[in-house]
Amino acid sequence: MPALANPSAAEALLWAIILFPLSGALINGLVGKRIGKGNATLVALGAMVGSLAVASIAFAWALSGRTLHYHGDPWIQVGALSVSWSLLVDRLSGTMLLVVTGVGTLIHIYSTSYMSHEDDAGYARFFTYLNLFVAAMLILVLGDSLLLTFVGWEGVGLCSYLLIGFWFTDPQKAFAGRKAFVVNRIGDFGFLVGVFSLLAIFGTPVYAEMSALARVVTPDAVITAGVFAGWTYQGAVTFAMLALFVGATGKSAQLPLYIWLPDAMAGPTPVSALIHAATMVTAGVYLVARNSMLFTLAPAAMATVTLVGAVTALFAALIAFTQTDIKKVLAYSTVSQLGFMFIGVGVGAWWAGVLHLVTHAFFKACLFLGAGSVMHGMGDETDVRKMGGLSSKMPHTHWTFLVSTLAITGVVPLSGYWSKDAILGNALFSHNPVWHEVGPIAYVLGSLAALGTAFYMTRLYWLTFRGAPRTHAAEHAHESSPAMTVPLMVLAVLAVAALVLGLPGEHWALGEVFKEYLAPVFAAGTERLYSHDVGHFHEGAHPAWPYFAAWAIAAVGTLVGWLMYGGGWSKLPARLAGAWPWTYRFMQDKFRVDELYDAVVVRPLKTAAAVLWRWVDVFVIDGTVNGLARGAGLIGSVVRLTQNGDVQRYAAVMAIAAAAILWTVLGVGGL
Amino acid sequence: MNLLTVVTFLPLAGAVLLALIPRDEAGQHRAATLVFTLLTFFLSLGLWFGFDASPAAPEFQFEVRLPWMPSIGIGYHVGLDGVALLLVMLTTVLMPVVILSTWKAVGERVKEFMVALLVLETAMIGTFAALDLILFYVFWELMLIPMYLLIGIWGSQNRLYATVKFFIYTFAASVLMLLAILFVYFHDGNTFDYLEARSALQVTAEQARYLFLAFGLAFAVKVPMFPLHTWLPDAHTEAPTAGSVILAGVLLKMGTFGFFRYALPLFPEAALTYRPLLAGLATVGIIYGALMSFVQTDMKRLVAYSSVSHLGFVMLGLAALSAESLTGSVYQMLNHGVSTGALFLLVGMLYERRHTRAIAEYGGLARQVPWLATAFLVVTLSSIGLPGTNGFVGEFLILSGTFLSRLASSTVLATVASIGVILGAVYMLVLVEKVFFGAIKNEENRHLPDLSVREGFVLAPMIVLIVVMGLLPGPFLAPAKPAVDRLVQRFQQAEARLGVPTSVGTVDAAVAARPSLPPGRAF
Repeated sequence: MPALANPSAAEALLWAIILFPLSGALINGLVGKRIGKGNATLVALGAMVGSLAVASIAFAWALSGRTLHYHGDPWIQVGALSVSWSLLVDRLSGTMLLVVTGVGTLIHIYSTSYMSHEDDAGYARFFTYLNLFVAAMLILVLGDSLLLTFVGWEGVGLCSYLLIGFWFTDPQKAFAGRKAFVVNRIGDFGFLVGVFSLLAIFGTPVYAEMSALARVVTPDAVITAGVFAGWTYQGAVTFAMLALFVGATGKSAQLPLYIWLPDAMAGPTPVSALIHAATMVTAGVYLVARNSMLFTLAPAAMATVTLVGAVTALFAALIAFTQTDIKKVLAYSTVSQLGFMFIGVGVGAWWAGVLHLVTHAFFKACLFLGAGSVMHGMGDETDVRKMGGLSSKMPHTHWTFLVSTLAITGVVPLSGYWSKDAILGNALFSHNPVWHEVGPIAYVLGSLAALGTAFYMTRLYWLTFRGAPRTHAAEHAHESSPAMTVPLMVLAVLAVAALVLGLPGEHWALGEVFKEYLAPVFAAGTERLYSHDVGHFHEGAHPAWPYFAAWAIAAVGTLVGWLMYGGGWSKLPARLAGAWPWTYRFMQDKFRVDELYDAVVVRPLKTAAAVLWRWVDVFVIDGTVNGLARGAGLIGSVVRLTQNGDVQRYAAVMAIAAAAILWTVLGVGGL
Repeated sequence: MNLLTVVTFLPLAGAVLLALIPRDEAGQHRAATLVFTLLTFFLSLGLWFGFDASPAAPEFQFEVRLPWMPSIGIGYHVGLDGVALLLVMLTTVLMPVVILSTWKAVGERVKEFMVALLVLETAMIGTFAALDLILFYVFWELMLIPMYLLIGIWGSQNRLYATVKFFIYTFAASVLMLLAILFVYFHDGNTFDYLEARSALQVTAEQARYLFLAFGLAFAVKVPMFPLHTWLPDAHTEAPTAGSVILAGVLLKMGTFGFFRYALPLFPEAALTYRPLLAGLATVGIIYGALMSFVQTDMKRLVAYSSVSHLGFVMLGLAALSAESLTGSVYQMLNHGVSTGALFLLVGMLYERRHTRAIAEYGGLARQVPWLATAFLVVTLSSIGLPGTNGFVGEFLILSGTFLSRLASSTVLATVASIGVILGAVYMLVLVEKVFFGAIKNEENRHLPDLSVREGFVLAPMIVLIVVMGLLPGPFLAPAKPAVDRLVQRFQQAEARLGVPTSVGTVDAAVAARPSLPPGRAF
């Protein structure tokens, strides 16, 4: 294959990565219902395999140190604005590319079994949306400019909307889909303002061009003209980055816009795994990493990213404590883990944030698919209180879930341990010039969140798989088909194997391979961080104690979780709930944030709209018009004329009226 | 024979021919009308391909100038710039679609109905093509009469009130505009010719301001701009589907086109004075229209209010006066014609099935009518400006162009206007959800037929346009460029005359504004 030997041949193929799933979606969307499930599967899976194959070639080039750039045709070209359909594969987007197509393919395979109960139309519709999602996600990742990323960004939002509301006959599910879209639109508003600001600063939305320009500007030089006249570059870029980050909090479910993600669990479980755990929700992290060079100009924005990530990590972990729906626990866990990633990219340890993105994609996809397998085996039951003892009934689901639980908990030496610790260690020793303590604060909050993670995951695992079956359904649960368990196994193995990416120590062959691998992408940003004018890191070696601390945290959290749900403290949860009933309910009600937003935003807006309509539109404006007309006697006379139903006469009157206006006014004007 | 003149009057010729067909032959009336509108469309393709969008090309092409009433300076003078070309194309594309959509919906007085539509088409094309003020006014008035009839005769229950309201608003507006045209006539060397008026007009600054207000008010009613919009929900709601589609698709553009062609270039100094007002009202309209849509219970009324919001974007882009924002406005005129036109077509199809516009009567339709639901969703996405659809290109150009324009407080206006993008998603998706998702509550909805082949042909061109204009906007942006550039230039010249620092055009990017920049390296 020439693409293997020649990078420009590979560049010419880049669009194929996107066009494969896009054509899959088109075919299944148009004729999928008629060609039967077998053929629909063939189309959807074929598209994914094709995409994965080309993506692998592109990744191989990125791995070899080559950046692939496809110079596409112009899309929007007006005045100074110029955007083209150009794609970029460097090591960062190459990594995302493999995650999206790799995990995406596994989840497509899993879905062939999971969705097999749907009728032909539903089955084809599901794979149409799933393929379309992958295509949109790939545009997001591969686009070489903010605007092309935005195409994918809103595209994945659309697919998320469609898939959350996949079973749209249930009004709650349809509502959950809309809620996701609207909350994301709030984020997208920030994204747009960010794009406008960056256009005002750099005059281009192309990543490479912005980064190149960001390298040459002096942060505290004052901008002389334009939108940001009077601001320093640092100030203007900070504004832009904060706006972009609003977009990231929407898509990646961070405070205060995380509220859509738990509801998004209304979608089919493979969707939760692919979109709401492994890929789409990490887009915000990718966005921050992609613009690392710009963020180094904006330490205040970096501090914000760090803090929002840290607070979200802890906040969501706390909510997960008391949830009883297996998917809801995992959803809050995802929100929390995304918070970790933001700590990483917020303190300038971009590679660590991206590493956690990768490891999380493996173990969280595995956990969600495991949850789906459990639901499948239990007749769509999601309440963990009705489970228990599934380990013997569903052995494959069980061991893969256990491995992933250990990985997310941060048990040595699984992948999650290294990636999470890389984030927390780097946070602790970071040094943001705007707010020195933000890194250590994030370390503390993040460590507490890690403690919480170990607790709620152990609780979830134990309630689901251990102990005695608590219901009839749990007693008669059955293992899922190989189409579902094999992807679980692959993901579990990956969740372990990914540990090689994050081993510490730079002086041996396997040390910090992922950091080294991503170094070219982040080199310029890192250079500026270490430089005098920003100074994010203390230079010099990090001590080893955080590694041991992390180890201890995972152990303690797991132990407490086991004691309370599997061991000798099993009366404690009920006693705690009884001792502080209000607190317990408040936690179970997810701190009532939805209700708060409803009271503060949604209802006032509805009321305002209704009041404006009744008073301004109907009363003031229409009242004036009607009053004027009535005063002139027009309404009466015209209505009388028309009420006899004589069309010709009506037309004639209208024509004469128009002519009369013309002549009267002509006459008046002539005087 | 001049192609533009042929395209303009072919529908009228069709109307005359229709008069010869016996009244009872409804099928023949429909077929003949379809043939004439299709023929008009194919001929207009000659305009599309014959138009030269290079900067060196003449401003107005396919131009004809014949004396009509030379004693008082009225001539038959027509021609197209790129913007008028795009709008003529929009008209000729929409008309066959509209005719096809009325096939089953209109069963009474088919002959009169078709004649009205054909007369309307000539009037609309003529309004865009006219380069003589009186000719423009005649077409403008000619356009209103069939529209009154469409609403007044083929409308629904409340049609009389709607017609009267529409009449009052447009009557007042027309009188003002006519007065202004006459005033211009007496101050440009006694001619109604647009090009001569534009170059020879001699008025004081104060007179120019009044003239701008007179033209502006007439156009603002038509757009409609907040707070002159209340005729629109009634007119839209009561009009038959064909009326709503044409009203939304083309007639509202008369207002924005009027600003672009007449109010702004004829009185640039005055326009500079009132620009903040226009931009402010436009922004209020964006948010206000969206909020109104939010609380409507009638589908057509909801879509009508959404037009107030969408046309607010167009007006904001016009007031911002940067190349990007103006181009975006032109593009958004087309988008709104396609998307809102398609929305009214879809609402009409739902109405034909259930004979109600009340949103609450629907629910859970997606399973019964999957193709109709899919089409509705695609059009919704275009309406809320999802990237990949035409709506995004227009909205993005308007918002970024306004943000980067030199208009005072433009960043605040653009940011507030961007909130309209959020609100748009809210009300449109609520509509989709209430109509198509959820369980079927109403038994009557259980056995609705999905799209027929004819309806497929009605919607297909709209959906193709939505996607093509979203992914490949280039060919649709190109004709607008010379007209937009000339308008910006006109304003720059006006500012030079006034000796004020420029407030039109796009600001420079901060980095590019630096005196010297080392060659950028890729990262």
